[in-house]
Amino acid sequence: MASDLLLEATGLVKHFAGRRVVDGVGVELRAGMVLGLLGPNGAGKTTTLRMLSGFIAPDAGTISYFGRDFSTARSATKRMLGICSQEDTLDQEFPVAENLLRYAGYFRPRVDDLHARVDELLDTFGLRPFAGHRPEELSGGFRRRLMIARAVVHRPRVLFLDEPTTGLDPQARVALWQLVNRLRGEGLGIILTTHYMDEAERLSDELLVLAEGRITARGQPRTLLGAVLGEHVAVYATAGDAVLEERIAAWLRAAKASTPAPIMDEWHLPLRAAQLAAFAAAFPALALRLREPTLDDLFLKLARDGEGAASAAAHAGRAP
Amino acid sequence: MILLALADWRSWAVMRRHARVYLRTWYIGMMPPAMEPVVAMLAFGLGLGGFIGALVWHGQTLPYLTYLAPGLCAYTALNAPFFHALWGAYVRMHYQRLYDGLLATQVELPHMVAGEILWGGTMGTMFVGAVVAVILALDACGVLHLPHPLLLPLVLPLVFVMGCAMASFALTFTAVLPSIDHMNLPAFLLAIPLSLVSSTYFPVPEGHPLVRLLLAINPVHHLAESARALAILGEPDLHVLWMLLSSGVLLAVTMPLATMLLRRRLLGG
Repeated sequence: MASDLLLEATGLVKHFAGRRVVDGVGVELRAGMVLGLLGPNGAGKTTTLRMLSGFIAPDAGTISYFGRDFSTARSATKRMLGICSQEDTLDQEFPVAENLLRYAGYFRPRVDDLHARVDELLDTFGLRPFAGHRPEELSGGFRRRLMIARAVVHRPRVLFLDEPTTGLDPQARVALWQLVNRLRGEGLGIILTTHYMDEAERLSDELLVLAEGRITARGQPRTLLGAVLGEHVAVYATAGDAVLEERIAAWLRAAKASTPAPIMDEWHLPLRAAQLAAFAAAFPALALRLREPTLDDLFLKLARDGEGAASAAAHAGRAP
Repeated sequence: MILLALADWRSWAVMRRHARVYLRTWYIGMMPPAMEPVVAMLAFGLGLGGFIGALVWHGQTLPYLTYLAPGLCAYTALNAPFFHALWGAYVRMHYQRLYDGLLATQVELPHMVAGEILWGGTMGTMFVGAVVAVILALDACGVLHLPHPLLLPLVLPLVFVMGCAMASFALTFTAVLPSIDHMNLPAFLLAIPLSLVSSTYFPVPEGHPLVRLLLAINPVHHLAESARALAILGEPDLHVLWMLLSSGVLLAVTMPLATMLLRRRLLGG
């Protein structure tokens, strides 16, 4: 529904030092939706996020929130954005509860019932026992909780989470996933970047995959995997047989299939159903183990594609 | 246009944040401005002053201590905001990453800069307020003699203006210097020479045209002379206008510059 549309960005372009780091990216975000932004390092995720959250202006393209152009209604729009950056930017001078109170002071109109709101967040995010502690006294997991609590203290409608669980132990990650899920349930539109594919798959309603500044794929996680990778991943070992590896590589080139990812002593090859049958027939002696594709496979494929493009560009004598 | 940020609620929100941090430990923070004039007057006034005896200022023969006391106000009005905006702002920006957190709110870069400048002016005023209180106390005790001591607090609004200008000046260096160790460069190459060519501790001989030019454009000199005019002559003189003009120009030039340089440093463009 159009009324659910919180954010619409089209044709975003950004250059740094003469290099086009974001190239024609478009984003849509609706209420109660988590949009996962994926891509290898240097894909343009952070730059896209920084344009959408107002830190930097795009060189071209439009960004509108709630149907209004961001550049002309900047302050009113920023009132409705919550930003949780990857780095810890908590105010080290104030204890937990006062961090929330002070941060709310940087927004107008003022937050209704601010003290009640802070109390609510302390309970929701499990920060009550640490209300009087300084951020430096908290564990990494609780500092991330405080970062997210601070980002929503003014009741925004859109929340940016930039790699929110990086460096956390599994228990802390699961706890944060539950909090993100709860915020989605409250109707926030959330844009999430992460390097953890299981996290992206669990949390995201839709994924947007970037590589070299461009969108290479978008859609729901399962649909996306099928569209980009195929239905299967064939796992096999060649025991260093260079002749066999060359035969497989030639077959894959002819079939226009993906290149396999070497992981430990095995090759992991995404294949469509029809390709799988042909591959098995072409290499009957090869012991194949099949599994479902995951976002890790997608990520590895994009990284390989990116390395391939960089290598081709280097051979052509230009910067990638 | 950037100067308009000084009146924006967001700049004052940033200023209030810095004030809140400072006021939690005000009794420690107030030690330097309260003790510095005592030490300076003991060392330079009573100690060195004994050798100097008296000097002539505006045709009046004054004990050195009487000359020195109002000058200390100008010296403090330079130091407190300048060093706050150098080291303090750098720590907030680089080590505490406070600026990144603020920019995620409705606060924009010009407001952040304006908040630092307003706090610099406020802090300078508070520090000079402490210096004025000590001078008045010493005057009441008879340690020094000012003909019109009760007019000295009138210097405080001027201190606020100059403090804002000095904080803005310092922020341009905070924005470009690569490390906290490099802060010594503007401190020793600019702030200290500014305080020397300023008639704070001693009357600067005005014979050389370059010295006359430096005095004319130095707001610290005009503030020192304004404070003296109030406390010794009992009336303001033209140095008030020159102080406001030189500080205003300094602010108008350095605030947009500091904003532009910080934008480049923090946002990459």
